This record gives sequence, structure tokens and C-alpha cells, in this order.
Amino acid sequence: MHEYSVAAELINALLPQAEKIEGKITGVILKKGELRILSDYALVSAFQMLAEGTLFEHAKLVIEQIPVSVSCPSCGYEGYVDHVSDDAFHFIAVPVLTCPRCNSEVDLQTGRELVVDSLTVETSTGTNAD
Amino acid sequence: MHNIHVNGEDILKRQLELAESNRKQLNDNQVTAVSVMGAIGSGKTSLIERMIDRLTEQGLTVGTVAGDSAGDDDHQRFLSRGATSINLNTQDDCHLDAHRVNHAMGHLHIEGLDVLFIENVGNLICPADFPLGTAKEMVVISTTEGDDMVRKHPKIFAQTDILVLNKMDLADAVGVDPERIMADYARINPHGQALQTDARHDIGMDELMEALGFGCTNTQ
Repeated sequence: MHEYSVAAELINALLPQAEKIEGKITGVILKKGELRILSDYALVSAFQMLAEGTLFEHAKLVIEQIPVSVSCPSCGYEGYVDHVSDDAFHFIAVPVLTCPRCNSEVDLQTGRELVVDSLTVETSTGTNAD
Repeated sequence: MHNIHVNGEDILKRQLELAESNRKQLNDNQVTAVSVMGAIGSGKTSLIERMIDRLTEQGLTVGTVAGDSAGDDDHQRFLSRGATSINLNTQDDCHLDAHRVNHAMGHLHIEGLDVLFIENVGNLICPADFPLGTAKEMVVISTTEGDDMVRKHPKIFAQTDILVLNKMDLADAVGVDPERIMADYARINPHGQALQTDARHDIGMDELMEALGFGCTNTQ
């Protein structure tokens, strides 16, 4: 249960950028690596509570998943991995960190991120404030 | 309505940087550090005690960070075993992080150590998200927790290279099939190493020492 501290860090990190934005921030798009053990539900609730009274109070936190991708030093494969997903694992897709082509050990390329991608902003004129 | 792309820094970047700084400090001082994660009551402390005995016999100096939400029971056990130890109470936090461990390392004077064990708070969820900067990581579970532990916490097992199944002496008594646990782990972590121990009766410890790179004569 560390979603509150993550949500607090997220808001603190974004506030300086939010202050420069003209318009109402209605969304925060967060990309989360598949290997992160963070509850989306708890993150969204923590964000809602902590955002009250800040520039993010009208913003909805949207979480998008970044899948695990790897590179294989043995055969040169680069790409996604296979998942185990059956009744033994309650049909939760568990990424298997092995090369799907030659079964060798792999280097992780993506899957452990927690990165804010973009903010959704509503402006009165509807024009892009970029 | 439009989207503004923001400076995409990782929210937990600070944690990763701190873990890297710990790793460098440990390497510079030639300390082999092991992060010990696992379930509550699985035997993390007992396994470390057995390893302290063996490493001390090899003439090595062992340090420990005893992570717990409260109390100093594990810390006292390590001290009585002859380790240099520091008690790290997280005050209800469910995991250790690299920042706290860095402070602990400072108090321990790691320059005098050969091996450092960092025992995390008993928890199979949060510690996986917070690397500490150790060279090795292991997860401990025990037979008494049931043979569905890997299935219930797949994400930590999918990304940790050493699994220790402890309390093998009690498997029959609690009707648990260790092979089921081993098979589940092999499916989601084909390159991981799974070991079976009975820390109380000092069984399986040589294999664990070897898996962690602690040979019989020297750690180097």
C-alpha cells in the first residue's frame, strides 16, 4: 500500500508545470509498467483525495499500461514476452521474463516505468495552448 | 480539449537513483549485499541467522539491517549471532526503501563489512516495487502458508531470481505439496532458482549459500 505516497509525488512533480497552463486541467494520463505492483483503484482514489484544493481538483487520473518488452542477448530478439494466464493464476496475465524465441535470459527494456505522459486541458476558446 | 505532453520523468526516479547510489557505495566498499523479502513468519530471520553463522566461520564480517514496522526482536537476534546490526523500524510503512537503507548503511559503517543482509518488512507486494541497490534478491515463503503462494502473488515471483521455500520439515504436517509451488514458480520465472530449506534444522543452507554466491571458502 504505497499508492498514497506515489500519488503525492505525482502531484508535487506536476504542480510547477500545471501553474504555467492556461485552462482547466481535466485529466492526467499516467503510464504504468506492467511489472509495477500498484493498484490502479488505490492510485485513482488517492489522487482524487490529494488533488482537492490544487490545480488538479477537476482532473481525472487515467492509467495506461506499458507492456513488458525485452531484448535477448543470445538470439537478438527484441519485443514483447509471453504471458502465463490460466486458472492456476486466476487468469491474471503474468509476464514471463524469458526470450519467447529461444528461451534464454533477457534484458528488460520496458515494464517498470511510472511516467506521466500528458495532461488533458480544457480551454474556454477551445484552442491549443501549446 | 487537448493534451499537453509533459516532461515525462519517472515518478519513482528518485527511488531508482538512490538504489543505484547504494549499489555503487556497496561495490566501492566490496560489500556483497542481499535483499531478503518474504512473507510474515516465513523464516527470513532464521535463514539469515544460519548464514551469519556460516559466513562468520569463513572469517567474514556480516552486517544486517533488520527492517520491521515496529520492535527490535530480529535486530536482537542478529546481534546475539555476532553480526553488526541496525534496527530499521518503518513505523507502519509496508516496505523498506533505498533512502532509509542508505541511512542505515551510514550507521553501520559498511566499509568494515564483507556481507550485508537487508531483511525487508514481511510483505509480498510492496517491496518488489522498491529496489534497494543490493547485488542479490531473494523471496522467502514457507510451507505453512499453503501451496498456492506463488499463484497469489505472481508479480513478485516473476521478477525475483531466488525463491526459498522454508519449513520443509512441516510440509507433510500441514498437507502441502512443495512440488506444486516449485512448478508454479518455474512456469512464471524459468530462469529463477528455487530452493528448499529447513532453517530450524539447518537443512538446505549450503545450497542457499551457493545460490547467493557465498562459496565454502571465500565470498570473492
